[in-house]
Amino acid sequence: MGMLLVLEAENCECLSENRLQNKLTEVKMDLNLSREHELLRDMVKEFANSELAPRALELDNKGEFFWEQVKRSGQLGLIGVINSKEYGGMAMGHLARMILIEEISRVYPPMGFFHQTGNLLMYAIETFGNDQQKKKYLPALCKGDKVSAFALTEASGGSDPSNMQTEATLKGDSYVVNGRKSWITGVDPADVVGFVAKTGDKFSAFIVEKGTPGFEVTRREETIGLRSLPVNEFALTNCRLPKGNLIGEEGRGLVCALTTIATIGRTGAAGVALGIARGCYEIALKFAKERVLYGKPIAALQAIQFMLADMNVEIEAAKWLCYSTAWQLDQGKTSRDLAVDIARCKLYAVDVANRCAYKAVDIMGAYGLSPEYRVIGLLRDALELGVAAGSQEIMKVTIGATITR
Amino acid sequence: MGLEILVCIKQVPHPDHFSEIRLDVGSGRIIREGIPAIINPLDRNALEEGLRVKERFSGRVTVISMGPPQAQKALEEALAMGADRSILLCDMAFAGADTLATADALFYAIRKLGKFDLIYCGNETVDSGTAQVGPQLAELLGIPQVSGVQEVTFGDEKTLEVKRVLEHGYMKVRLKLPALLCVTRDINRPRLPTVQSIMEVAQKEMIIWKAKDIGAPPESVGLKGSPTCAAGVYEYKTGRRREIIQGSTEEKVHRTVARLKELGAI
Amino acid sequence: MSNSGEIWVIGEQRRGRLEEVSLELLSKGTALSQRMGVTLSSVLLGDEVEEIARELVFHGAEKVYLLEDARLRYYQSEAYARLLAEVIKEHEPQIILIGATEIGKELAPRVAAKLRTGLTAHCIDLYVGEVDGAPHLIHVVPGWGGNLVMHIICPRRRPQVVTVKPGVLPKAVRDENKKGKIIKVKPDVKDEDFRRIETVEVVEEPPKGKLLESADVVVCGGWGMNALGDFSRVQELAGILGGVVAGTRPAMDKGWVDEARMIGQSGKTVKPGLFVSLGASGAMHYTTGFMGSKVVLAVDQNPQAPIFQVADVGIVGDLREVIPCLIEELKKDRMPKKF
Repeated sequence: MGMLLVLEAENCECLSENRLQNKLTEVKMDLNLSREHELLRDMVKEFANSELAPRALELDNKGEFFWEQVKRSGQLGLIGVINSKEYGGMAMGHLARMILIEEISRVYPPMGFFHQTGNLLMYAIETFGNDQQKKKYLPALCKGDKVSAFALTEASGGSDPSNMQTEATLKGDSYVVNGRKSWITGVDPADVVGFVAKTGDKFSAFIVEKGTPGFEVTRREETIGLRSLPVNEFALTNCRLPKGNLIGEEGRGLVCALTTIATIGRTGAAGVALGIARGCYEIALKFAKERVLYGKPIAALQAIQFMLADMNVEIEAAKWLCYSTAWQLDQGKTSRDLAVDIARCKLYAVDVANRCAYKAVDIMGAYGLSPEYRVIGLLRDALELGVAAGSQEIMKVTIGATITR
Repeated sequence: MGLEILVCIKQVPHPDHFSEIRLDVGSGRIIREGIPAIINPLDRNALEEGLRVKERFSGRVTVISMGPPQAQKALEEALAMGADRSILLCDMAFAGADTLATADALFYAIRKLGKFDLIYCGNETVDSGTAQVGPQLAELLGIPQVSGVQEVTFGDEKTLEVKRVLEHGYMKVRLKLPALLCVTRDINRPRLPTVQSIMEVAQKEMIIWKAKDIGAPPESVGLKGSPTCAAGVYEYKTGRRREIIQGSTEEKVHRTVARLKELGAI
Repeated sequence: MSNSGEIWVIGEQRRGRLEEVSLELLSKGTALSQRMGVTLSSVLLGDEVEEIARELVFHGAEKVYLLEDARLRYYQSEAYARLLAEVIKEHEPQIILIGATEIGKELAPRVAAKLRTGLTAHCIDLYVGEVDGAPHLIHVVPGWGGNLVMHIICPRRRPQVVTVKPGVLPKAVRDENKKGKIIKVKPDVKDEDFRRIETVEVVEEPPKGKLLESADVVVCGGWGMNALGDFSRVQELAGILGGVVAGTRPAMDKGWVDEARMIGQSGKTVKPGLFVSLGASGAMHYTTGFMGSKVVLAVDQNPQAPIFQVADVGIVGDLREVIPCLIEELKKDRMPKKF
């Protein structure tokens, strides 16, 4: 009897230990990036440093874009990184995309932003389009032989899409489209453009190719940042588009556009912001270590250290917010499930980019304000991100509305 | 035709971080921990050359490295560039090797691999910079070798003509395969991996061998197999004056010019 | 340490011209042979180079083993390595000094591997010292992190082989009164030596313009010149001082100088009257390249930079301000530059 009790007591102890051990071994959270992601980061870093950096300053000051580098990016497989292999993509996922956009933007944000806007239509076609459209457009876009743009915004307000005026009326076998889209990045050089128009009391998404009668790219908007990537208005005047140019079903255009903008636009903008923030931080840190005042580098001064510390903390926080969101997209969650995560990472990363850029300019004093150095350009680029893929306030609307539901 | 091409690579500290490297005063070894590491730059030129030869004549590129476990990362980068398989020689028995013992380890590994046609090495590493392992390996394998190679021209399938650098000119050398070439940075521009080639890395064969796997006798490799060894680290007395000139910028410059005149330098 | 084995300097000749490094090695060889009480000899391969063998004697070689053959006129990889190894095996010298020229860097390791012996590259000094109570030839090589050097020894195998870069050691003094024996060794050159590898052409041009190695003044720019954007100020300063422009490895990587003007362990070694280092922090791999300079002036932003340990005169300051100011000051001054 006594022995039995002892045995039971021992068993109980063993059990509870096991339970503890089991609990500990169940904690699974590997924050290490995979080997492929590390190799990708190294490759893009090398690409950015050797092929983008040498001309970045000059092109930004001139407002010229790097079209040859778009081809090169396509050759390396960077443009179609989330499209499926069947259509020329690399199917590497959203985290890979975020990393590559970050590394490019660290050196040359306009190119990073090109990956943001240029990927929009590629995703829309892959997700909502039919096989014919995929075969027709995706391979060339993945290779960088052709480039695309995506247009939702009009004078009526990008933040208020349901008030858009552009209208598409079905006449026989084709749609006749009339309207104007404004503030569309990359539409000038684009070979193919996706846009949303009113069809009756709903909205639909369409594809229009450059050269189609009735499609005309009009004035270029001067932007203070991301100056190498042209932003234009375009007009559709009695533009006839065959039914085959409809992306997905008629009436599902807003779903297509908003899903695309959330999944691709916002994550892309977040990636650009991460890159800008890190770029500013690294430049400021290096400068602080080299700039000598009062007989020692200014990095020895607390005021400078505090600013750098703030940048360091915020960049790290923004990074994990963005990476975890991209990772979740890779796990198969939809942009609907991740509405808050996506809005959050765009909101925070862009704010961090702006703060870091401002601090970097500050740390560098007169050099920070000179167009001969990169940081003032990075600050201008960070400013542009505020309104990319939905303004910062729209991000807050998304988050606030969702959490209070 | 199908050439068996071997490329020897070494993982080295990133040159941008050289100022952070410290020597362990006791053993004379470099403390590498915490310092970012890369493939030795000239080894990338060597690998690029090997890949081009494979693309031209068909064949297989095997990359080999002797190093600690973290050297596997350098081999993965090489696979991402396009090498077909990698071999890491990793064993405490290899540690502390001088160039001859390193060449010996590589020799035994290559002997295990079997027939080969061409071996490419970078001319020298950015850390030790001896330029010795390539020629020594060739000697152990009993094959012809040229250092300082800037250009390679294939004659028939068994003969090469290479142009190698001299201080104020060049030398042209004709060789028969199998041979070993140590290349310089002039020879090519190494390619970047593509997303495609990065994704293919997972499918490639990555071998790790210890000394006994390649039948390397303990007295031939590592510290035991090294005829030379470190005998301490010392501060070098340079006998320089080390005068730091004080004052405002103008004052400093003025005083410097005066001092240089005093020293007879200008 | 071996007792009676000779010290050998492998002489290098190219097309009837003796490489200067052979004379530099002879000066060190002489010092070592006197210290150790052994004979200093030299080996020379080539064709119709007896006059060069005599030069080796005039610079201190007590014996010269002369291997002449028409087929050895130019450096031939397998023939030279095999013949050297054989003559070494026959006479068993204990120390071999080879110049780290482009050819020496290839020949030395092959010979050392043939003999399965130790080889230390790029020595900046050699002397007889003690390690754990026993006498050894200490091979001094650059270390890491500032001023450190490593001592290497070859305790067990013989001969011990070392290479030294051109320009590191002083040249031996020429004295026509020096007497020495020239021993003609008939080299057993075989057809087999040329079957797998053969030198077919050697093209060398004397360099145009002032040679870096013989310049009185060298102005060397480093990574810090980034702050000024390019190398134009380095060139300007060199112009005013009547000197030659050079660069560190990072400067070469940036494209500001080509490889022929790179100073450092894997580049050139210089010994000018004045060496000016601009914006280079002073890693040992770089500083060994100008150690023999008479006077060193260093300019850098970082007061902790190791370069200031190896300079005679140092200016800590922003390069963007100091360099233009220095140029102006020198312009104002007259410019006597001969040493």
